[in-house]
Amino acid sequence: MKGIKKSQLSNFLQQVSAKYSLYVPAQVDGVTRFQKYSSEREPFLTANTQLSPKELFFPQTEQLYCYETHKQEVKVEELAASSEPQVLFGVRPCDMQAIGVLDDVFLGKGYEDVYYRAKRANTLIIALACSQAEATCFCDSMGVDPAFAPQADLMMYETEDGYLIEALSDQGKDFLQEFSSALEELRSEKPQAPACELKAETDGLVEKLQKMFEHSVWAELSRKCINCGTCTYLCPTCHCFDIESKTRGGKEVKFRCWDSCMYKEYTLMAGGHNPRPTKKERVRQRFLHKLQYMPERYGKWGCVGCGRCIDKCPVNLDITKVIRELREVEA
Amino acid sequence: MNQITQEMRNLAKQLLEEEKVQLVMGWEKGSFWYNSTPVFVSKVEDVDKLIWDEFCAANLATYLLDDRFSDEKIALFVKGCDSRAVNRLVQDKQVKRENLYLIGIPCPGMKSAKAAKELGQETKEELPLEDKCIYCTHHNPLVYDILLGEEVALDDIAATAEVSRFEGVEEIEAMTPDERYAYWQDHYSRCIRCYACRNVCPACNCTECCFDLGQTWLERDVTPTGNQVYGIIRAFHVAGRCIECGECERVCPMDIPIMKLNRKIAKDIEELYGPYEAGLDTETPPPLGHYKTEDPDEFM
Ligand code: SF4
Ligand code: SF4
Ligand code: SF4
Ligand code: SF4
Ligand code: SF4
Repeated sequence: MKGIKKSQLSNFLQQVSAKYSLYVPAQVDGVTRFQKYSSEREPFLTANTQLSPKELFFPQTEQLYCYETHKQEVKVEELAASSEPQVLFGVRPCDMQAIGVLDDVFLGKGYEDVYYRAKRANTLIIALACSQAEATCFCDSMGVDPAFAPQADLMMYETEDGYLIEALSDQGKDFLQEFSSALEELRSEKPQAPACELKAETDGLVEKLQKMFEHSVWAELSRKCINCGTCTYLCPTCHCFDIESKTRGGKEVKFRCWDSCMYKEYTLMAGGHNPRPTKKERVRQRFLHKLQYMPERYGKWGCVGCGRCIDKCPVNLDITKVIRELREVEA
Repeated sequence: MNQITQEMRNLAKQLLEEEKVQLVMGWEKGSFWYNSTPVFVSKVEDVDKLIWDEFCAANLATYLLDDRFSDEKIALFVKGCDSRAVNRLVQDKQVKRENLYLIGIPCPGMKSAKAAKELGQETKEELPLEDKCIYCTHHNPLVYDILLGEEVALDDIAATAEVSRFEGVEEIEAMTPDERYAYWQDHYSRCIRCYACRNVCPACNCTECCFDLGQTWLERDVTPTGNQVYGIIRAFHVAGRCIECGECERVCPMDIPIMKLNRKIAKDIEELYGPYEAGLDTETPPPLGHYKTEDPDEFM
């Protein structure tokens, strides 16, 4: 199979970055996330990134448009940048599955989000198979193969001497063609898929949860949650946003920014009523959204098992434990 | 199982059986060997969940804010920092002392869960302390109804200035304004505004927070400048009331050195108003919360 020798990786990345906006996982200022490639920036490929690649399609803050008014006239100016062709290198299978979830939300069911589409449609994704699962990874319980990402354009496998690479989509094939001079025949075999130690048993879960909206277990499960936004902001599939505006000079700028169902304000209505007044309702929403509403609406889990929330939740409210408890209690 | 864990369970059982309290807050073992996480026990059959080990860093007092005006009787375990948090909440009139049964546990210092995860279980014996515990000046609880275990001598060691309460502050003070700006800009540009630092904080106990009122005080767009404004406003809002528990920094998913800001302010307060540590009791008024004729007034 064709591939890139480890010693040739930076050469390859440089060639790609000469033609496309290239993003690679990298550690910058103490945090790992997808960053624009530059030759000084060593890609971080030993584990998944702390921040998910969703921010490339759905940034935490995105200016949409601005307007000025003069008497009866309104001048509107679009701000959301149309995106240049970009390449994402080294997306893990769980995150690729999550991008599929975001595609369903932002592009599916007859409504297209133009801001998301502008970036997504211009992006080619090179996924990287995992050869090792972290202690917090449980993707193989959530319908993800840690060694294969079918929705990616290209699939890469790390071996001793380099990275095997194969095209999965037509764009992926063209890309391989384009950079064929940077590839060479590698003799190594595709590595085995790792097995995640952490497990979540999900069969029958959706049907069970359908009967559990009013269950007393939610009050128990949510007790330790401090309703920060950490889990939802780090989650590669969470996609809630708020639209707000601010005035700068005579201009009003509309922007959208991530929002979180963990916040009290999220459901606070004009007049003061809040249909999710306590953390019980908020935590229930988070888990039902991922484990019931998403599968009902899109036929796939809203959790891809990346483990970020387990790793970073300040109180260790672990979704795999939640699933276990939900299975154990009587519906 | 250690002695303290056993005593915790016995006491929790007794308190619940005798209906002295309706709820016991403590810690249980989390998903991995390096996490211990808050647990809420209201049934006798659940007392065996309670544990005491080297990862019980989480401050339980903040949970009292969940139902701050309830008349439920609650027992909670308090380390030094937790006991100061309780004092904070009582002094700020958020909870009533008489509704609490405080079970003090002298704390030897908690081990760093982050380091544990990186270094692996083989290193369990040599793990470094949580940062918040390195600079802790009050390991023994300051207020309690009953004490489990023996008081530790660490507070005397801390009092001899071997523990620098203001660790890292000189480094900030030595910077030029531009360097300082760049320093905070670098750190706060990665803030994701998750508000974990605020939500875990016992001094952040306002029923309505200025960051929750939409655009009035700080817009919601996440920008390096906005994030710094967030950090500074929060630091000022807790100035003089911050009990230096370090929970904000411990829970920050982006590893922002929030305590450097809090310590700088605590140091300034000492320099301006004399020795003061918040949360040591519920009587001494916080220096910024009252007025004395001898307060410095060189700006007048
Ligand atoms: S990260 Fe943990 S504490 Fe924060 S909102 Fe999520 S579950 Fe709750
Ligand atoms: S819920 Fe947690 S484990 Fe699941 S996809 Fe989101 S961050 Fe990953
Ligand atoms: S969750 Fe699975 S795909 Fe994601 S990083 Fe872990 S092993 Fe890889
Ligand atoms: S916990 Fe850290 S990332 Fe979250 S809002 Fe506070 S400083 Fe920002
Ligand atoms: S600001 Fe930080 S150190 Fe101070 S009381 Fe709040 S959580 Fe504790």
